[in-house]
Amino acid sequence: MSSWARCLLAIALLVFTAAAGAEMYPGVGREATPAEVAAWDIDVRADFLGLPAGSGSVSAGAELFAAQCASCHGSAGEAKGGAIMAPLIGGITQADIENGQVQALLATPPVPRTVFMKLAKLSSLFDYIQRAMPWTTPKTLQPDEVYASMAYLLYLAGIVPDDFVLSNQTMPEVQALLPNRNGMSTDHGLWPGASAADGGFGNGGVPDVQATACMHDCAAQVAP
Amino acid sequence: MLPGPTKIGVLQSAPEGFLSAEDIQSLKSGRRGFLRASLLAAGAAITAPVVAIDGAAEAEGDPAILELPPWTRSAGQGVAARPYGAPSIHEASKVRRDLPGMSSYAGNSVSFTPLQNLFGIITPAGLHYERHHQGWHDIDPARHRLMINGSAPGMLKAPRVYTLADLLRLPSVSRIHFLECGGNTGMEWAGATMPTVQYTHGMLSCSEFTGVPLRVLLEASGVDFRKARYVLAEGADGASLTRTIPMELVESDEVFVAYGQNGEMLRPENGYPLRLVVPGVQGVSWVKWLRRIEVGDQPYATREETLHYVDLMPDGKLRQYSSVQECKSVITAPSGGQKLLETGFYNITGLAWSGRGKVERVDVSVDGGKNWNTARLESPVLDKALTRFNFDWIWDGKPAVLQSRAIDSTGYVQPGISELRAVRGTQSIYHNNAIQSWQVQASGEVKNVQLG
Repeated sequence: MSSWARCLLAIALLVFTAAAGAEMYPGVGREATPAEVAAWDIDVRADFLGLPAGSGSVSAGAELFAAQCASCHGSAGEAKGGAIMAPLIGGITQADIENGQVQALLATPPVPRTVFMKLAKLSSLFDYIQRAMPWTTPKTLQPDEVYASMAYLLYLAGIVPDDFVLSNQTMPEVQALLPNRNGMSTDHGLWPGASAADGGFGNGGVPDVQATACMHDCAAQVAP
Repeated sequence: MLPGPTKIGVLQSAPEGFLSAEDIQSLKSGRRGFLRASLLAAGAAITAPVVAIDGAAEAEGDPAILELPPWTRSAGQGVAARPYGAPSIHEASKVRRDLPGMSSYAGNSVSFTPLQNLFGIITPAGLHYERHHQGWHDIDPARHRLMINGSAPGMLKAPRVYTLADLLRLPSVSRIHFLECGGNTGMEWAGATMPTVQYTHGMLSCSEFTGVPLRVLLEASGVDFRKARYVLAEGADGASLTRTIPMELVESDEVFVAYGQNGEMLRPENGYPLRLVVPGVQGVSWVKWLRRIEVGDQPYATREETLHYVDLMPDGKLRQYSSVQECKSVITAPSGGQKLLETGFYNITGLAWSGRGKVERVDVSVDGGKNWNTARLESPVLDKALTRFNFDWIWDGKPAVLQSRAIDSTGYVQPGISELRAVRGTQSIYHNNAIQSWQVQASGEVKNVQLG
């Protein structure tokens, strides 16, 4: 077969496959209604796609936090939940806010890692509070309440002043102040998709640790 | 093959449930010295081994043979006395265990698989480790739905909804894969910490999963694979946990939406009635109680991708989207907390796995890594599945350090803890795939140690 004929055949197969997808199992599944998608599609992406309109002040957040959050997180976000539940607040400095990378992550000996020491995307916080908080009544907070709770936390963390109002309009400017906004790296070999060179992450799967399989008289190791 | 007639050694299994209130307090406070004291206490509480034969009866023979037991002299129970079935009452200690003090919320915690008690490669569903982010529910399957939608118009032709009955009608695959939490062995980064293999490596299980390839569902929704390069998977639990998965794994047909596990429906603790299977990738991406798949043109930076499941490197940066579970192995017996009661012949057995392919080879050392010999791999040896290895060993009563080292089909060699630390430091929490060392002391007691 000539190359142009092979090409035509490939195109024909592609078109056939795409068309067959929806028709292959007629009656199995159905189209979702717009209301159904709206009810479940609650994720907020790093570019703020999915962020609902709304706003909340630090003072409203303080009230809400005391009523619905402090019993687990402590009145100042210091956490009471054991090793898995990290404290929310602490470990960041004015210099971190300016530089966008938290120096306490390098502390020796290590210090407990708070949420604001790690948080690189403000969207993650909105998305998580909206979908999973409060612990016993998740998905009950209205957008304004999510904004308010975040405004209070940002105030406790020293990132915004006490009269600040967080909203879908002010989210980007606060994103630019997050203490660890530059603290992430995707330069590794543990992403199973496309590499950074191909529009994905990392080096395409090259391991960072290279060991060899010595069999005999291997380098003596330190006794326990 | 043994060189000749050999005395058979006897292994006392690990003392179970030995964490005392003091141990728990010690663990909470971050001190790690608790394991020695607790093991000594637990060891003392255990009675003499069951192999001892009564002196008087010894001349004639074993009373277990000479005196017919009740079950040989009476009628047994009828069929369906226990409609589902359950393990023997004599196996009651072989259970999932949590780590008291790890979390104040049992719904946000971990229970560990008793690897030291298992054979082969399949984990019984009831012993599959648990990691929940907001507790588990026993979801009514009639009210469960799976939605496929796009992040924006143009990512797919139309969003779709499936019932469980719908999914059960579609073409299915059954595949055996391991499932390991990214935080498995995480307590060992800074030093030998946990007393037994259940706690060092027990966030690890392997099952046969059955379900529908995700590619089939995405094609039926008319996904534009040129634009939609990322998949968001979302659970129906209170946390509605979300993770980003690369479309490449869907296109390769590896990712599937599972309803079956080891021949039956998923257990509620494992995501009943639907969970995502993402072979080779850490457990958090195998979203349980799966309710929604969104396809999009960007990754999602979810909470489990920015605040948790990020690996702190020595330069202070957090590694994000670290997903693959690299090649790893561990000796499950003899292992920490167990005791060799006599010198003689032992079977060293363990598990090996790789998130990048098949296990190619496992080497075992009994001298702390100075010399290695290749172990037997027992079939089956499957892609991204646990692989059982065995190794004959005669213990001469001298202290020994047992280690296993796996090599996968990409040629990657499981590193030592010092090699891992040289690159990643000690604060990473996740993705510790170091060689595990078990020290056999002259007393026969087995301890968790780290060399180098």
